[in-house]
Amino acid sequence: MAATFSGLLKPWIPRVILVRWSRYNPYYLEPEVRKEAYTRSEAKLTKEEREQQKLKTLRPIKAATGGVTSSVFNDPDLSKFINMIMKNGNKILARDILNQTLENIKRKQVEKYHKAPEGKKEEIECNPYTIFHQALENCKPVVGLASIQKGGKFYQVPIPLTENRRRFLAMKWMITECRENKDRRTLMYEKLSQELLAASIKEGNVIKKKLELHKMAESNRAYAHYRWW
Amino acid sequence: MALHRLSFRLRQTVAHVRSLHTSGCGKQQGAVSVKADPELFSVFRTQDSDPADQTERNIGQYYTIPSAHVHKLFPNGLPWRYEQQVKTFNEACVMVRQPTLEVISYLKKADYSKPALRYIFYGLKGTGKTLSLCHTVHYCYTQGWMVLHIPDAFKWVKNCRELLPSSYNTSRFDQPLQATEWLRDFRITNEQFLSKIKTKQRYVWTKREFTEEGSPLGQLVDRGISRVKSSTDVVGAVMKELRLQSGQPESSFRLAVAVDGVNALWGRSTINKEDKSAVDPDELTLIHNLRKLMKNDWTGGAIITTLSQTGSLYSSKSAYLPQELLGERGFDNMDPFIPVSVSNYSEKEFESCYLYYLDRHWLQHPQSQRQEGKKEILFLSDRNPAMLERVCAFL
Repeated sequence: MAATFSGLLKPWIPRVILVRWSRYNPYYLEPEVRKEAYTRSEAKLTKEEREQQKLKTLRPIKAATGGVTSSVFNDPDLSKFINMIMKNGNKILARDILNQTLENIKRKQVEKYHKAPEGKKEEIECNPYTIFHQALENCKPVVGLASIQKGGKFYQVPIPLTENRRRFLAMKWMITECRENKDRRTLMYEKLSQELLAASIKEGNVIKKKLELHKMAESNRAYAHYRWW
Repeated sequence: MALHRLSFRLRQTVAHVRSLHTSGCGKQQGAVSVKADPELFSVFRTQDSDPADQTERNIGQYYTIPSAHVHKLFPNGLPWRYEQQVKTFNEACVMVRQPTLEVISYLKKADYSKPALRYIFYGLKGTGKTLSLCHTVHYCYTQGWMVLHIPDAFKWVKNCRELLPSSYNTSRFDQPLQATEWLRDFRITNEQFLSKIKTKQRYVWTKREFTEEGSPLGQLVDRGISRVKSSTDVVGAVMKELRLQSGQPESSFRLAVAVDGVNALWGRSTINKEDKSAVDPDELTLIHNLRKLMKNDWTGGAIITTLSQTGSLYSSKSAYLPQELLGERGFDNMDPFIPVSVSNYSEKEFESCYLYYLDRHWLQHPQSQRQEGKKEILFLSDRNPAMLERVCAFL
């Protein structure tokens, strides 16, 4: 019954409607920023896609938000990281910090590269993006801990983590580590580049923090059955 | 692997360029690319490290300043971002560009028995005025000229730590720290001249201390460095000596005065006196002496200057023309001068810069080595050299 009802209403109502904060009424379509979507020829589209195209000529389209871009240099992980550095909505500053960080990492590595003797040049990783991703990958925890009340006592219970949560924790640790253990005179981008470089070779405080969490989860493995979900 | 791919790319471009010259014969392509192998890097690099040999053919190519010259000629004289680049790439490369070649050709042909000619580099923000100046100065240095290089004239009208009333003329102010710093750089650059040039006047510093007539210039400079208090007057004395002696038949040197941001001399300053009123640049001894040097009542040298909007205070951001930046008074003082416009990269120069960055492993993002990435870099920077450097910095 419900299925047929929603089927009837389908052209009008999307599945999840943000009622409270949406600036747009449900007629509005999502914007498309990928360049490839516009370069494909008409003949190659499937039937549904063609219908979508037709809809676009008639229905209004939402304005793209500030975060989306069609740049070839776009990277979802990086833009997430920028958003996590951001304070008070000052994205320009956050992006500048990250760009300077990448530049700083690259400067260090390229300088090392040009100074290295001929045979050892290949070993040095110069790409700051690879280093960044490697560092985040190394910081991601395997298991997490949740506080569960059982018989009037709180137990730290090891739980599995989703991929999203693991990424969040890695980024959060990295940022808090850099913010809190930073010398007053060093700049954020300097500290961040040091930490990222250290984490990419499995060193540094963030990795220590991850291992600490692992150790805690290992010692509390007896409580694992308290997890009810 | 990456290196292999790079050389492959380069070879392609070489073949492409060559084929343009040899009226693009498709059959010869293979043979040409094999032949071009030994000079893989010659598309964007020239082997002449002497600026005097550079010709129109070298436009858009990079030439390397020998590191010994960099340390001696520009102890603090290079822009900060360029200095960083030199450190990162382990070599100092400057692109040969049209405005510099123009000025160098003028310098070659000028008649040095006449009053010194004034050249002004002007152009939009970030188009490479300062590096053009540095390139020209390097030419003068390799020709064995005496170089009086002021890396940033705006430093002398801003943020002065210690401002003392001058002992020579109490209505003026001394900036001892800036003066010592400049004298130190001056001594490093012109070491071989300092013992040869003799002073023509007797300078009395205090009741007991004085410099005799006929003592070498080096002694004067050393005094300025060791006695900070009189360093500003020493700068004035050095400038005066050089002005009087250059172009004289018995002197054996040519003088190149290079000033970056010459519009500082006729602008306003941010330095405050004790009663919180602003100091006029007239009242600063350093600026006063530099202005005298800008007047072309001396012979046997050249005055090479740049205008800069970035450092200048109280001027609109879009201003870049000489009359806008120099103001009426400055323009009258500098007139007549030879304006040399510095513009954004041409297509060829952009290409060469891109190849240079690839060669130095500066473009690391995998997309930036592809055609789409290059297009986007071109779009973002609009061929402005400084913007290009900024955009490529994090890729």
